[in-house]
Amino acid sequence: MTHSLRVRLTVGVLSVLAAVLATFAIVVRVVLGSALDRQLDARLSGNAAAVAGMAEDGTPPEFEYESLPEFERAVRPGFFEAWLDDGRVLARSPSLGTRDLDRLRIDTGGPAFADVTLPDGRPGRALELRQPMRIEDAPRGGPPADRFVTVIVAQGTEDVRETLAAMSRWLWLLGLLALVLGSAATALAVTRGLRSVHGLAAEVAARHEHDLARALPRNVPVELEPLVDKLAGLFKRLAASFERERRFTADVSHELRTPLAALRTILEVAASRDRDAAAYRTAIADAKAVVEQTQALVQNLLMLARLDARQIEVVNQELRLRPFVEDCWRAFAAQAASRKLTFSNDIGPAAAVVIDPDKLRIVMTNLLANAADYTGDGGAIHVREGRDDVVLEVVDTGPPIPDYVLPRIFDRFARADTARSGGGIHSGVGLALVRAICEVLGLSISAENISDGSVRFQLRNQPADANSNRGDATRLMR
Amino acid sequence: MRVLLVEDFEPFARSLAQGLREAGYAVDTAANGEEALTHAFATPYDGILLDLMLPKLDGLTVLRRLRENGSPAGILVLTARDQVSDRVTGLDLGADDYLAKPFPFEELLARLRAVIRRRYQAPSNIVRVGDLELDATARAVRRGGRPIALSAREYGLLEYLAMRRGQVVTRAEIHDHVYDFAAEPGSNVVDVYVGYLRKKIDEGQAVKLIQTHRGLGYSLGVEA
Repeated sequence: MTHSLRVRLTVGVLSVLAAVLATFAIVVRVVLGSALDRQLDARLSGNAAAVAGMAEDGTPPEFEYESLPEFERAVRPGFFEAWLDDGRVLARSPSLGTRDLDRLRIDTGGPAFADVTLPDGRPGRALELRQPMRIEDAPRGGPPADRFVTVIVAQGTEDVRETLAAMSRWLWLLGLLALVLGSAATALAVTRGLRSVHGLAAEVAARHEHDLARALPRNVPVELEPLVDKLAGLFKRLAASFERERRFTADVSHELRTPLAALRTILEVAASRDRDAAAYRTAIADAKAVVEQTQALVQNLLMLARLDARQIEVVNQELRLRPFVEDCWRAFAAQAASRKLTFSNDIGPAAAVVIDPDKLRIVMTNLLANAADYTGDGGAIHVREGRDDVVLEVVDTGPPIPDYVLPRIFDRFARADTARSGGGIHSGVGLALVRAICEVLGLSISAENISDGSVRFQLRNQPADANSNRGDATRLMR
Repeated sequence: MRVLLVEDFEPFARSLAQGLREAGYAVDTAANGEEALTHAFATPYDGILLDLMLPKLDGLTVLRRLRENGSPAGILVLTARDQVSDRVTGLDLGADDYLAKPFPFEELLARLRAVIRRRYQAPSNIVRVGDLELDATARAVRRGGRPIALSAREYGLLEYLAMRRGQVVTRAEIHDHVYDFAAEPGSNVVDVYVGYLRKKIDEGQAVKLIQTHRGLGYSLGVEA
């Protein structure tokens, strides 16, 4: 079966049209044929009655052929013959000459019709009629009731056949005409109907990634509206995706340009003149610090990209939280000490979760790095196990996160530091990564300022019915 | 010349400031937008190097506020944003030039010289006052074709006087344009340096270029 909508529609419409026309033709043919047959039989009956009526008293009837010209004419004549019961021929039509008509051999007294072959070889129809003779004088001799005349009247059926044939020709002709016009009209209608599809296709084909958001034409047939709606939705999602990608690329480029610029300037300024060893050491230490921060940034970005591409496998195992947090903190201990920050790990020795430790380590490390960077000098950082659905919380003594930063603190490149610190390279990637990993782990993350000016980050188990793509649920075990 | 460096990434700011000081500028630094405005409103900087993505107050807002308050400083925007629209916005808000990170330090110096030159309506990096020739690119000074060796501070002082040649410049102005916050000059340090400079420039010359205007300050120029 072809997949062309136009061909299928046209074939379908034409099939139905042809079937209807054929049925119509058959019905017309049958009705008209039987009407013509009845008409012919009526004529035969009339003629037979006339012939019988003229047969008189066993003598050859005297016909007034003016009223029955068909028995005399040379072309397509009718025939009749009348017999007495004793087999004597009472009368023949002039067209019959000396020939006889075949008897139909009816047994009953009633008239009988039959299709016959006429004496001149033409197909025809005959009526045989037997009836008492009309007696005008008083009977002399035998009983008049016994005197019957049998009449056969026959006529050619060419007229009927020709009429039916002519009608058939017309029916064929009109049928063909209807099919031709019907197929043309269908093709035209389908083409017109598909024009909006082509228009839509051209519109879609002309779209580039930068104008996906432009509205699609709404002047389409109602049948296409769902398609246009779905396409518009798809385009919207695509546009959003492209926009996200474009912004991400721009943001990544921006984030990498700053440390690159710093590195370049540090190295160029250091190399611009001869210096003592201490000055070079300072420059090298600065450059190394920038490289380390950049490396961490790149790793976070790569991890985010893998999370986006769903290339992260989660391998859960039982994890005791207290030693885990202790281990994560180690990297920040020196930095915290230099700023006189105190750290307390308030997790009970028995607390454990089933989770992917490598992923949770990235989350924990970022949260602790955030606290170590942003907590005011002399402040405190606490890590606690939570109650109910809270798995862990990291609380620091502030300063609070500004209200305008808080709602988008987990957005990529949101720059949580825009007011909390002058870290410069501290992009929003760390907390964005934390949120993305939490989603994979089936956790949710929240940040809030609490009444005493502290800042609290909480990791919670997502409700089981939450719309997430995680594999196994993380459960707090005691 | 005195410049304000506004950059929040600390190692970057540190090495930029070092490089600028070594190139003869008096440099103050600000790590966020608010600090930048505070400094810029308090001090008549010759040039401002401005990062756009700043804590507390973003660079474009800083730029707009500066120009709204009539700051005459030559402003060179340093940013990691390199979209045309960003550059257009920055320039339309009153930046004199735009440099995308990362950049060669040489180029930063050249562009900074250019925006300061424009701020003083100097057509080129070579300024002539009588037979005195000052080349801002090479930081070299000649008088009558003879090179004169100047210390960094002396050069800075002469450069500022040369930029404002023909005008009387007060001690306070010299102070503001030649020293940064890090330097803690004594009250008569300007007079002392003008004395050094006069010795190197004018001593033994028939035409004196540095004039003292009692109670007002100094000027550089050929007396009519």
